[in-house]
Amino acid sequence: MNIELSRRAFLQTAGAGLAGTTLGALGFGDIEAAHAAAIRSFKLANTTEARNTCPYCSVACGVILYSKGDLRKGEQAEITHIEGDTDHPTNRGTLCPKGSALLGFVKAPTRLQQPMIRKPGADKFEPTTWEDAIDRIARLMKDDRDQNFVATNNDGVTVNRWITTGFLAASATTNETAFETYKVVRSTGMLVFDNQARV
Amino acid sequence: MPKQIVPSDIDPTAIGEVSAPPYVRLPDPTRLFFRRAQRLNALAEIDELGPYLRFLAALADVQHGIQDGLSDPDLPETEVRERAHAFGMPPLDRDRFASGAFFETLDRLVLAASAIEKPRAAANALDRLKLAAPAERDAMVRNVLADAIAADALAEHVYVAAALQLHFARLAACLDASTLVPVGDGACPVCGGPPVSSMIVGWHGSHGARFCACSLCGTLWNYVRIKCTLCGSTKGIGYVEVEGGPGTVKAETCDSCGCYVKILHQHKDPNLDPVADDVATLGLDLLVRESGYRRGSFNPFLVGY
Repeated sequence: MNIELSRRAFLQTAGAGLAGTTLGALGFGDIEAAHAAAIRSFKLANTTEARNTCPYCSVACGVILYSKGDLRKGEQAEITHIEGDTDHPTNRGTLCPKGSALLGFVKAPTRLQQPMIRKPGADKFEPTTWEDAIDRIARLMKDDRDQNFVATNNDGVTVNRWITTGFLAASATTNETAFETYKVVRSTGMLVFDNQARV
Repeated sequence: MPKQIVPSDIDPTAIGEVSAPPYVRLPDPTRLFFRRAQRLNALAEIDELGPYLRFLAALADVQHGIQDGLSDPDLPETEVRERAHAFGMPPLDRDRFASGAFFETLDRLVLAASAIEKPRAAANALDRLKLAAPAERDAMVRNVLADAIAADALAEHVYVAAALQLHFARLAACLDASTLVPVGDGACPVCGGPPVSSMIVGWHGSHGARFCACSLCGTLWNYVRIKCTLCGSTKGIGYVEVEGGPGTVKAETCDSCGCYVKILHQHKDPNLDPVADDVATLGLDLLVRESGYRRGSFNPFLVGY
C-alpha cells in the first residue's frame, strides 16, 4: 500500500496538472480517448464470492459460493455456482458428489425455509412461527426434565443427569456458538448430546 | 514377506484431484516474454487498443529476442540473501540494486526497440533515452524500482521498465523456489514488488488456486482467494466486471483500502497473461474508477489510472 500511495503522491507533485498516462505519453492518446468514449455506454456488473462450509456431512469441507449481484450494494444476489475451496485445508479444492450438487440443494423447491411442526398423530408437517416453535420446545423440555431428572444415583452419589431428552447441534458454527451451545445443554444435565455438521 | 502398509502410506481422504499449489512459481524468461508477445498480438486483433497492444507486443518480442548472448545477471551474494531471509526480507533488494551490469540489457533493448513501429512521441522518448547520461538513466532505474514513475517522462520509463522486467525475471529464475517465504501482503517474495494482477489458475495439481503476478520480476506467488492482495483484508471484497463480458477478467475491489486489483480467471482461458490482459482491459479500469475504487496494482505500461 505504501508503495502505491507514494507513487500517487509523486504523480501529483510532478504532474503539473497534466492528465499523465502512459498511453498519452507514448503517442497513443487518440486511441485512449476513443476507447474511453466507447466504454462509457457499458455498465459494470457486481459479482461476489463467499466462503462457506458444506452442510452435507461432518467433514465440513470448505466451499466458495459465487453470486451474481452484491447485497452490500443494495442489489439482489443469486448464487450461480458452488465449488470446492482450494485454500481450505480439509478438502483442498475437492468435493464429493453430494457437495458438487450443492447448487441444487440451495435452489431446491422442497428446501426447508421456516419452522415446521408434525403434531402427535398427524401425518404431515405444517408451518409454524419461530416464537411458537421455541415456546413449545422449551415447554416440552421443561416438563420432561421435571419428570425425569436424576439428581443422585442409587448409592446416593450426586449425578445431576437428564437422559430422556437428547440434543443434536450443528458444528458448522463459530467457536463462540459451539461454546455457548455446550454450556446451555450440559448445564441442564443433558448427556445425549452431539454436534453434527449436516444439521 | 510382503511390504507392510502403514497408515501413513495412504491418505484415505484424498478423493479426486487434491490441489497442492507450490508457494511460488519462478518466471521462465525464455518463455515469459515470447508468450506475452503472442497474447498481446492476439488481443490486438480484437481490442480497441489494438495499436498500443501491437506496440507492447513488439516490445515483448524485443524483451525475448535480446536474451541471446546476454551475460548472466549477478545474484546478490549468498550471505546477503541469507541475511534477507533471516529478517523476512525478499532476496532481491531493490534499494541496493547496482545498475552497472543492467546497462548492457538496457542498451540492447534500446537498440532493438528502434526498429519497432511507433508513434513520434514514443520514438522521441527512445531517442532521449539513448542520449541520456548514465546518471539520468540510473535515476530512471531508481524510479521504476520504487514504482514511482515521473509523470513528465512516462514514455522513457516504459523502455527502462521493460529492460528491468527482463533483468529481474532472469535474476528470479536463478533462485531456488523452495527457499522463498512470504514477506508480507501485496509484496513479491522475490523482489518485494506489488502485484500487477492475480490469476486463478487451472494448472494440474494447483487448480482453483490464486497466484499474484509480480509487476517487475514476473514471479507468481500463491495467495489466499477472496482476500485483498494489497492490504490483506477479507472483509468487503467484491468482484466487478463489464456487463456481458466473458467473466474472465474482473476487478477485485476492497472496501477496507478502497483499491482494486484485477483478477484473471486463467482456468477459463489459459491464454490470459497477467500483464497483457491488464492493459487490454483498460475499459474496466475506466468504469471502476467512476465507482470510487482506486487502481492499486502497478503496471509500467498502464500508469496514470
